[in-house]
Amino acid sequence: MFEARLEESAVLKKILDSVRDLVQEANWDCNDDGIVMQSMDSSHISLVCFMVRASSFEVYQCERNVSLGVKIDSLAKVLKCAASDDSVTLKADENEPNTMDILFESKKNDRISDFQLKLMVIDQEMLGIPESDYTSTVEMSSAEFRRIMGDLSTMGDSVTIEINKGGASFSTKGDIGSGNICLQKSASVDKPKDGVKITMVEPVKSTFSLKFLNIFAKAAALSDTVVLSMSEEYPIRIEFAIDKDVGYVRYYLAPKIEGQES
Amino acid sequence: MTKVQATISSFWSKGSEKKAKPRTDGGGEGVADATEPKRARKENVQSSNSVEVMDREADVKVPKTDAGTVQDDAEAKKVEVEKETTTEERATKKKAVAVRKLTSETGEKSKNAEAETSTDKASGATWKAGQPVPYQFLAVGFGKVESITGRLEITDILRRMFQTIVETTPEDLLPAVYICVNKLGAPQEGLEIGVGEGILIKALSHTCGKSVNALKDEFRKVGDLGDLAASMKASQRTVFKPAPLTVRSVFKEFKAIAKSSGRSAMDEKRARIQKLLVASEGAETKYLARAFQGKLRIHIADKSILAALAESFPRPEETVERVGSDMSAASLLTHAYNQHPVWDTMLNYLLNNRVVDSGILDACKLTTGVPISPMLAKPTKGIDEVVEKFSDQPFTCEYKYDGERAQIHHLADGSIQIYSRNAENQSEKYPDVKLAMKDVLGPDYSNSEYILDAEVVAINPQTNHILPFQSLQTRARRDVSVAEVKVAVCVFAFDLLYFDKPLIHDPLKQRREKLRACFVEKEPVFTFAKGCDMNDPGEITDYLHESVKGGCEGLMVKQLLGPAATYEPANRSQNWLKVKKDYLEGLTDSLDLVPIAGYYGKGKRTGVFGAFLLACYNPESEQYETTCKIGTGFSEAQLTEFSEFYNEKDRIIGGRKSYYVFSGSTSLEPDVWFEESQVWEVRCADLTVSPAHTAAIGSVDPEKGISLRFPRFLRIRPDREPQNASSSEQIMEMYLAQP
Repeated sequence: MFEARLEESAVLKKILDSVRDLVQEANWDCNDDGIVMQSMDSSHISLVCFMVRASSFEVYQCERNVSLGVKIDSLAKVLKCAASDDSVTLKADENEPNTMDILFESKKNDRISDFQLKLMVIDQEMLGIPESDYTSTVEMSSAEFRRIMGDLSTMGDSVTIEINKGGASFSTKGDIGSGNICLQKSASVDKPKDGVKITMVEPVKSTFSLKFLNIFAKAAALSDTVVLSMSEEYPIRIEFAIDKDVGYVRYYLAPKIEGQES
Repeated sequence: MTKVQATISSFWSKGSEKKAKPRTDGGGEGVADATEPKRARKENVQSSNSVEVMDREADVKVPKTDAGTVQDDAEAKKVEVEKETTTEERATKKKAVAVRKLTSETGEKSKNAEAETSTDKASGATWKAGQPVPYQFLAVGFGKVESITGRLEITDILRRMFQTIVETTPEDLLPAVYICVNKLGAPQEGLEIGVGEGILIKALSHTCGKSVNALKDEFRKVGDLGDLAASMKASQRTVFKPAPLTVRSVFKEFKAIAKSSGRSAMDEKRARIQKLLVASEGAETKYLARAFQGKLRIHIADKSILAALAESFPRPEETVERVGSDMSAASLLTHAYNQHPVWDTMLNYLLNNRVVDSGILDACKLTTGVPISPMLAKPTKGIDEVVEKFSDQPFTCEYKYDGERAQIHHLADGSIQIYSRNAENQSEKYPDVKLAMKDVLGPDYSNSEYILDAEVVAINPQTNHILPFQSLQTRARRDVSVAEVKVAVCVFAFDLLYFDKPLIHDPLKQRREKLRACFVEKEPVFTFAKGCDMNDPGEITDYLHESVKGGCEGLMVKQLLGPAATYEPANRSQNWLKVKKDYLEGLTDSLDLVPIAGYYGKGKRTGVFGAFLLACYNPESEQYETTCKIGTGFSEAQLTEFSEFYNEKDRIIGGRKSYYVFSGSTSLEPDVWFEESQVWEVRCADLTVSPAHTAAIGSVDPEKGISLRFPRFLRIRPDREPQNASSSEQIMEMYLAQP
C-alpha cells in the first residue's frame, strides 16, 4: 500500500492551483524520493513539473514505484472539502491503483473525512528534460514577479526578458504603446527575500508569451522567491521552491520566435 | 515558409537519452540548437529535434478497469522502449537529415520543374518503403502547386508525388488522394470536414498562446486562416514536439473530426484540431488549417488528380479492340471516374494492376447506389444561339423547372435513394418522394434497378400549380417524416440513365422512350417533364413564354439523336442548352441601387471589399431599404476602385444611419457602413420575397421585403444621385409583374 500523510492540506491545494490551468490530467509518479508530476500543456509550449520530497511527509510509505493517473480538477474538488490546516493522507494500492483514498483529519482530531477518487490510465511517458547549465539566472521575490507579469499584460501579450550587466529587464509592446521594467541587483538587509540576485555568465535575451507567465506567476502562493534561469534560444525555467525544503514547482516555457509575427 | 521549416521549432526530442532516466533533477546537458552552431555543445546531445520517434505520444486515457494488466502492459512497454532507444535514435538522426534535405530541395525543385522532363522517375521519398508517408510530403507539394498556375506543371508535381507513394507505401495513396481533394469519402457518404472559423480560431489560440481577439484582428489583416495559422505557429516554439504527422493519421483524424457529434462535439473537434495543429510545422500548419475549413485553395480539382494518376501508371498498347482500348490514359480515367466517382474503386484497380487500361471501365461502371455528377446545360444569351446550334437537327424543348435536381436510384435491394446535384444523399429530406416512387414502375418492371434524372419541384397539391423555388427551401432537411411534410413536391422525371443496365451511351430519344415505356405517371407526385419535340426553331419563343407562364424558369433544349445525344456525366455540355426567362425581353429591366455597406473580401479578394449591401430609395419615408447583397459582376479593377473610393473622404461611417432600414439579419450584418455616395446599375434573375431585406416592406408581405435573386453588377451610374435610385414602389411593381 502506498501511503503519504501531509501535515497541512494547504500545500497540496496550492500545488494543484499551480498546475490546473495547464494540465487536465497527469500521472503522479511515486517512488522512494517522493511524488513527482510532469506534464506539458496541450499546446506543448510549456511544461510543468512538481516534486514533493518524501522527507516532507509526516508518513511516507512507498514499497514499489507506482504511477497514479490523476484528474487534476477532480482532486482539487475533493481538496476543497478540507480545511487548510487539516492533515491529508493519500493512499493507493500499488498493485492495482484504480482509486486513491484521501483522508482529512482536523487539528483537534474531532473530524475525519474519507474520500475515494477514481484514477485514470494515462498513457503518458515521462519526458526527459535535459538539465542545462543556464547562462543567466535571476532570483527575486515571487510577488514582484507576479506584479511585473500582471503590469506588462496590460500592454502586450508577450514579454522580452533580457539579462545583462545592467540587470534584468522585462519589456513589452502592444497596440497602445510599450513598457519596460528593469531590476538591478540589490540586497535587502531586513527582508532578504525582497532582494534581487543576478548571476550572469553570458548576456541573454528571449521573448515569451505573457499568457503562460501569468499562469505560472500564480505559484507565488507557494514560495516567497522565484528563480528564473535562462540560456539563449532555450526554454526558460521558472522555479518556485516550496518552503521548508518540501519540494518545488518548475515551469519550462519555450520562447517565441521573433520576426515571425507581422 | 522554407525559412520556417528550416528553423528548429522545438527543443527537446523525446528520443533523447535522458528518456531512460526519468527524473528531472539528474544532471545533464543542455540541448544545442541548430540556429546557433556555436552552442552545439556536447556531441552526445543531438540537435535533431524536428523529427521524433513515431507514435509515441498516444495520450490515450481510459478509465481504469482491469488496472493490473494495463499497468503491467505499460510497464513492459516502457522497458521495451528503453531498449529500443538507441536504435531508434540512429534512425531518428537519419530521418532528421532526410527531412532537412527535403526542405531545402523543395525550393530548388520548383525552380527546376521546367527543366525536369516528364520521364523523370519519381523520387524524393524521405521515408523507407512500407513506412507511413509523412504529411509533410503532401504539404510541401501543396506549397509548390499553390505557387504555380500552369495546369501541366501542377499535374507533373502531383504525378511525382503519387509515383513516389506508389513506389514506397502504396496503401497511403488513397488517403493521399483524399487529402489532395480535401474529401473524406464519396460524397454520398455525407462526411464533411467543414469546421467553423470560430472553432478553428479557438483551436489556434490554444495552439500558439495568442488570444482569440488578437487572432481575429490578425485574421482580418491576413485574410486567410491557413497563412495566419502558419505564421502564428511559427512564432512560438514548443518544448517537446509530438510525433510527425503522417498521411494516414491525418486522414483518420479528419474523419474523426467530421464524425464527432453530440453534446460535446464542439470541444472534441477543437481538441482534435488542436492536437493536429500542435504536431504540425510550416506548410503542414497552413494546409491543415485550410483543410479544416473545407478549402485548400490550391486549384487541385478531380480533373488534376485524374490527369496525374493517368501519368503515374503506364498505359500499355491494347491489341484487342474493345470499348476504351483506343483511349488515352487520361480520358480512360476521366471516363471511368465520371461513371463511378469513387476514388476507392479506381485506386484499387490501379494499385492492383499497376497499369491504366480499358479494364478500368469494367471496374468503374455506372451502378445504382453510386450517384454520378449530372449532365449540365450551357446557358445561352438568347434564342438566336439555340437556333444556330439546332437549325438542322431534331431537338426537344423541355420545361426548365425551378426546383432541386434529384438523381433517384432504385437499388437491387429494393430501396430508393435520392441524391442531390452534388451527390449528397437527400433521402432523409424527401421521405414523401421515396414513398411516391414505390409504385411508379410499370407492372412488368417492378424489380428493375434504375437511375432517374429529375427535378423535384414544390407544388400546390390542390391546384397542382408549380410553386417558386423558395417554397422548396423552407422544407426541413433532416429527420423528416411523411406526416410532417408541409411543402408538397412533384418529381418531374426527364432522363433515364440506367435501367437494369447503363443507358447513358444511348441517344436521348431512346432513353426517353424507355422512360415513358417503363414508368407510369402518378399525379401529382410523379410526372414526366413537359416537353415538345421541334424541327423549327421559330417555335421556341412561343414555347418559352408558355413555360414561364407555367411557373418554370425557362427551357432546356436538347439534341435528340446521334452521338451528341448521349448523357455526358459531369459535363456542362454544348448539347444541352438552357434559355432562361430573364433573357426574355421585358424581364431584364435593370435596377439602379445604392451601396450602403461593405463586406471585407476573403481569399483572392483580401484587402478589398468582396461584397456590398445594396438598397433602393423610398422617397415617401426618405429611407434607404436594403434589397440584396452583391458580389458578382465586378472586375478586379472595379473592386479595387470601389475600395479606394469608399475608404477615402470619410465615406465609411461609424455605424448604420438611422435612415438605412436594415432587417437585422445576422448573416447580412456588414463589416462597415457607407455614406450613400453612388448609384450602381444592377441586373438580376428575378425578384423574390425575403425576410432578410426591407425593400418595399409592408407592400407585398407585412414583414418581409423584396430582394433580388442572383444580382450582377453592370456599371456605375455617375449621372444619378442616390436619391434618384430605383424606388421601393418600382421594385414592388417589378415583383408583381413577374409571371
